[in-house]
Amino acid sequence: MSAVGVIVVRFAIIGGFLLLWQIASGPWIEPFLISSPSRIFLSLIAGFQTGDLFQHTWVTFVEIAIGFPVGAIAGISLGYAFGRSKLLAEIFEPIIIALNGIPRTALAPLFIVWLGISLWSKVGVVFLLTFFLNFFNTYTGMRQMDQEYVDLARLMGVKGWKLTFKVIFPAISPYVFTGIRTSIPFAVIGAIVGEFVASTEGLGYFIRMSAGIFKTADVFVGIIVLMIMVIIIDKIAEMIERRALRWQSQTEHIQIQA
Amino acid sequence: MSEGAQGILKPAQNDPEFVIQVDGVSKVFQTPSQANLDALTDIKLDVRPGEFVTVVGPSGCGKSTLLKLIAGFLPPSAGRILFQGDEVRGLNTRVGYVPQESKLFPWLTVEENVGFGLDSKRYSRADRERQVSQFIKLAGLAGFEKYYPAQLSGGMSKRASIVRALAYEPPVILMDEPFGPLDAQTRMVLQDELLKIWEQKRQTIVFVTHDLVEAVALADRVVVMAHRPGKIKDIIQVPMARPRNIFEIHRQEGFDEAYGRLWNIFRHELNLSAR
Repeated sequence: MSAVGVIVVRFAIIGGFLLLWQIASGPWIEPFLISSPSRIFLSLIAGFQTGDLFQHTWVTFVEIAIGFPVGAIAGISLGYAFGRSKLLAEIFEPIIIALNGIPRTALAPLFIVWLGISLWSKVGVVFLLTFFLNFFNTYTGMRQMDQEYVDLARLMGVKGWKLTFKVIFPAISPYVFTGIRTSIPFAVIGAIVGEFVASTEGLGYFIRMSAGIFKTADVFVGIIVLMIMVIIIDKIAEMIERRALRWQSQTEHIQIQA
Repeated sequence: MSEGAQGILKPAQNDPEFVIQVDGVSKVFQTPSQANLDALTDIKLDVRPGEFVTVVGPSGCGKSTLLKLIAGFLPPSAGRILFQGDEVRGLNTRVGYVPQESKLFPWLTVEENVGFGLDSKRYSRADRERQVSQFIKLAGLAGFEKYYPAQLSGGMSKRASIVRALAYEPPVILMDEPFGPLDAQTRMVLQDELLKIWEQKRQTIVFVTHDLVEAVALADRVVVMAHRPGKIKDIIQVPMARPRNIFEIHRQEGFDEAYGRLWNIFRHELNLSAR
């Protein structure tokens, strides 16, 4: 099928689904259960007009904007350290694997107890969810890395920071970016779960409160805003990734003239 | 008997006449089943500055291991290796290494790869640029400076890989079957280019190969290795004149004799294993 054909069919499916939803809401299914695309759209506009939705979105965004980068950097650094130090890996690997076995969202209530119902408890949950994914991906990258690159670089007299940033990180960067990108939705999950448990603002709070008073349209509004947030963050990460890994994609070959 | 064979007999000591002295080196690997595998047994080899030495032998004879020991990637199990008179302990940063596969850093351009070993302390920015462009030209890669390795053909990455090791001017270059995976024609072209570069720079080269013609064509001396256990069978002097014409190497005086001697040794090996 042609590229245009694929896009046409894709939009036809989405449009058909929304149309079916719109028609079904009311005559067949109670609107307060599933709302309808038109109501959701109107609620979305209304929410942003009053400014409430902005406030909730901002709160959730800040939680992610702090917890996600800190968690990612911590995870990547530890993954790197484990890859560099056999001793460190030997001591801590089983511990990390055991900790990873804990369903991390179950720790959200503890974070509320420790850090209160404000910003920092949510940042903590976001951090936790981001950290492990980045850690495991980076550590895998360190173990899969072609050691010959490091050996060659060291033979050429390269060591220290130059070895780390000119050789090791580029070599593992595909893994690092996989970690970063898979952890984006989880960072958002972390923020929302934290807000579900206890909060006074944020999109998770907004969704929970709206559901509590059967404002189904607002629940969907919250979900849509979250979805858009994930897509935007992922697109930014994708742009950075494509720039950083441009050496990978350029595979058009040139004929040798020998 | 060849002159190199005397080198075997001579007790190795701190002799400035030699840049590399492999002194009674053995290497034992432990297999996963805890058995010992003798990769190299009692290797003695001295290499003079500016010499082009090839090491030839069947696969599994430990010739790559020998290079790894000289580079300091691995420690010897017995004996010692002297480099410019100092014992090699840990990585030997005074050698350049050209691995079997090109192993260019795929995230760096050709230019960045070639300049990678040019330390900013030893080379000023201008020196560095001059050096890089000179070696890129030498490798016939002018115009490809900004390309990434993934965009190069096999022969081009090979050349880039070789000049990457040459560019920072280590006194010795170790080459581990660098032309192995290439087709016959590309191979000859690269052999020719390697000799031309070497004739200009005269760095010491230790070149591992399993190809007898290649071993003779390039070398001043051919080190012949046997396997299980890996040891040096003989060292053959190649008295062919330089510069050599790789494309008609068979017609050059001295080739037949050296090749014949080499082949005799291998024929002997083959007969032995056939019995």
